[in-house]
Amino acid sequence: MKFADWLLARALKNDAERDMVLGDLQEELPRRGRVWYARQALSIAAHALVRPRGLPGEPHRSGDFFMRILLRDVKYAWRSLMKRPLLTLTVAGTLGLGLGANAAIFNLIDRLVLRPYPLDDPDRVLLFAETGPGAQYKKDEVAPANFYDWRAAATTTEFISAYSYWDANLVDRNDPERLQGYQITAGLFEALSVKPALGRSFVRDDETFGRNNVVIISDVLWKRRFDRDPAVIGRRVIVDGGPSEIVGVMPPRFNFPEGSDIWAPLSFDPKTPPSRTVRYVTAIARLKAGRTIADAQAEMSLIAARLARGYPEDRGFGVRAYTLTRGMLDEGTGPMLSLWQASAFIVLLIACANIANLLLARAAERRRETAVRLALGAGRGDILRELLTESTLLALAAVPGAIAFAWLSLYAIRVSMPANILRFVPGFESLGPDLRLVSFTIALALLTALIFGLLPALRAGAGAVAETLKEGGRTSSGRQLLRRSIVIAEIAIALPLLVTAGLGVLGTRQFLSGPQGYDPDGLLTMKLVLQSRAYPDPASLRLFVDKTIAAVQPIAGVENVSIINNMPSSGGNASRRIDIDGHPAPDPKNLPVVDLRAVTPGYFSMVKIPIMRGRDFTTADREDTAPVAIVSESMARKFWPNDDPIGRRFRTPAEGPMTVVGICGDIIHDWFNRRNTPTMYRPYRQLPTGNFAIMMRTPGDPSSLAAPVRRALLGVDPTQPVFEVMTMRRALHERTIGLQYLVAVMTVFAGIALVLASVGLYALISYLVAQRRHEIGLRIALGASRAQVLQLTIGQAFRLTIAGTAIGLVLAIALSRLIQAGLIGVGSSDARVFVAFAGVLIATALLAGYVPARRAAAIDPMAALRTE
Amino acid sequence: MPDPIYLGELEQIVLLAVLRLGDGAYATPILEEIQTQAGRRVARGALYTALDRLESKGCLRSRVGEPLPERGGRARRYFTVTPAALRALKEGRLALLRLWRGIESQL
Repeated sequence: MKFADWLLARALKNDAERDMVLGDLQEELPRRGRVWYARQALSIAAHALVRPRGLPGEPHRSGDFFMRILLRDVKYAWRSLMKRPLLTLTVAGTLGLGLGANAAIFNLIDRLVLRPYPLDDPDRVLLFAETGPGAQYKKDEVAPANFYDWRAAATTTEFISAYSYWDANLVDRNDPERLQGYQITAGLFEALSVKPALGRSFVRDDETFGRNNVVIISDVLWKRRFDRDPAVIGRRVIVDGGPSEIVGVMPPRFNFPEGSDIWAPLSFDPKTPPSRTVRYVTAIARLKAGRTIADAQAEMSLIAARLARGYPEDRGFGVRAYTLTRGMLDEGTGPMLSLWQASAFIVLLIACANIANLLLARAAERRRETAVRLALGAGRGDILRELLTESTLLALAAVPGAIAFAWLSLYAIRVSMPANILRFVPGFESLGPDLRLVSFTIALALLTALIFGLLPALRAGAGAVAETLKEGGRTSSGRQLLRRSIVIAEIAIALPLLVTAGLGVLGTRQFLSGPQGYDPDGLLTMKLVLQSRAYPDPASLRLFVDKTIAAVQPIAGVENVSIINNMPSSGGNASRRIDIDGHPAPDPKNLPVVDLRAVTPGYFSMVKIPIMRGRDFTTADREDTAPVAIVSESMARKFWPNDDPIGRRFRTPAEGPMTVVGICGDIIHDWFNRRNTPTMYRPYRQLPTGNFAIMMRTPGDPSSLAAPVRRALLGVDPTQPVFEVMTMRRALHERTIGLQYLVAVMTVFAGIALVLASVGLYALISYLVAQRRHEIGLRIALGASRAQVLQLTIGQAFRLTIAGTAIGLVLAIALSRLIQAGLIGVGSSDARVFVAFAGVLIATALLAGYVPARRAAAIDPMAALRTE
Repeated sequence: MPDPIYLGELEQIVLLAVLRLGDGAYATPILEEIQTQAGRRVARGALYTALDRLESKGCLRSRVGEPLPERGGRARRYFTVTPAALRALKEGRLALLRLWRGIESQL
């Protein structure tokens, strides 16, 4: 509708006529419907555009002259395309695939990177991050005490607000559920200019400790748990073990930040005031009218400088202002999508090369026609223009198919992404075709028309007229250098794509099925977060864990059960700075960091991490016995390179000395950036935490244990939810889903590239064979054997393929270096992959050359010679 | 004496439809009249082109009615046939009748 009106406004320059037409259409709209409206608008615009201006008999103005020429060219091009429907369809189809792939990736970048937040003016919302001495702190690492000082002092921004991650356990009618939530200060919704759909937003008073028992829920939660009941406002629910009142419901699709379902006020017990050293909140704000991000940056720098003077903890700290979109951008997303866009563009280039080759062949067929027209006085410019019009029309014909293809791909991407990943990627739910995608596709189509149309068009206008006419219609077979070069280029750029995809596939397989350092099969995992309101002290945590193990262990099928604070391959991590007795760190202010795992006895044998030396933890390692630790091999190597770590002692800032009692094998916790990270293991009883995973091994199917274990846990605490219940294999899969995605898309692109390059080679060889029919016939007549003819033709394909592969290998090596630098994980430039894919490419290319070669060998010499 | 006006077939049909509709002749009823009486489907775009052309040739005059809410506050444009066009229509009809005379039996 909007598009139709826009079109009409463009087509009808006369205001009075436009008013009449729009009025007429609108009057009929209720009776006839939108489809009718669009069709009418299209017809009217088309008629208005070809309508001759001015009165009959008056001389045409120059603008009309060009319009007429354009229309004539379009008409001519249309007829010429319709004469070869199969060629036209092939070109439009090929191009549609290439354009569609690019359009889909463009949409991903547009929605996930450029404007992930559905805000009216995203550039007015800022994110403030702290910069520390030495390093840039992450966006979610602001000290809450600093935030409150910023809020008190800032004048260039308003609604400056903070939020902090919060695992909420919601209980309502005895149905515990763990929700993704955030604790926020008043003003967060206002900074984003979003109002609750029901009830109210938070106010400053809600931040007061003791009056902070209020929550706001998401539309999703309202629908799922409360059946869209408007009376939910004022309802009391149990959140984190205490009563809370629902005061607001947010509008549909609002889930900032990162898929939140519930929000509570960020509030501090006066006994534990906001910290200036532990940095864990995210701060955003809205620019006041007339202020710029530079104003805000200048002001925040001043405030930060003042804080750095006033508080020793803040010495060396500053603030950086980003736009929200820029500040929240995940570092990996940009490079990954850029890689896709580059691959998609290569596929499009190969498609263009194929089309250019087809059109070159066609231009050769039309050389005589062109020569006649030139002889009769047509300008070379006219011919060039007509051919470019033809390419443009061809390219535009591919656009609808391209958009449909992009739509399908985006749909496939959306449905195949697991829900619990989808909700953490802002912008994912809004993937889909829009006006920007359509404009991008049309612009790219016009660009490709230039790429594949210019060469043949220039070629057609260039020939010598007299000679072509004298040749008497025989097409010359000598000058195919250009077409050969194009095919070589196609093969050369297909190979790097194939190799990259191949390396990616290998990398992912390694991730999923390579050695992990433990045995991921037969394990069921689940997570719990115990709230400090219900479990306030270490004793209550230990009691819960003891009861849990006692309840789960007897379940039929459970071989072994253990608790760990961060299970392998989970997203989170815990780490500690360590100070080793007898090995003072070179810089006492900057102690080395190791990963920390707190486990219950039996963990190592359950996940099958070997104890290389020393002993395992036992039930005798208790809170009241000597603190002990087991260290990983990598930790032992790093910190005790020359002596035996067993019996040695080290300490962390919070704990006194602990003794190393064993050395265990290394595991791969995180494939992306942590291999064999030095890790210390502690007995859970000595270092209890409320945030942990339960892992159990079973000889049978791990997922069959889920239901009985859930029941057993409800028996321990009926208000305690468990979440992310899945097999270890599934957890690994979800952990690597991003990489698998990357690789899957690259593989599709590589496949398309391979097919397109083979088709290009096939078309060229077929064409050459057809051109040399006469010559081949003669050779056969003079005694050449079929095998010799076959060899001759295949040799031609072989030379082209080898040339393309050689160039391609160089490109592939360069590209794999680049990817290794940018994407940790897809690494290992395995020479076998290069050789294998060069082989695949050569084999496919030879197959594409074999078919026309067979045809050449089967030429009947008598028939071939007679045709001349 | 102004130059004689030549009317194409579609132009004649449009003018006749406008005449038949009297005071109520705006685009939509003109289209419907042509459809029901002449049995011809004319594209809306072609009709606007014809109306524009006829007006610039001096065959039609248009006046603007009251703004109507169902048209989004826009007014209808009503068309009337000018005396010159009426004359041209009559002349065209007479010329055709003269040419038809005597050959009806052959068809």
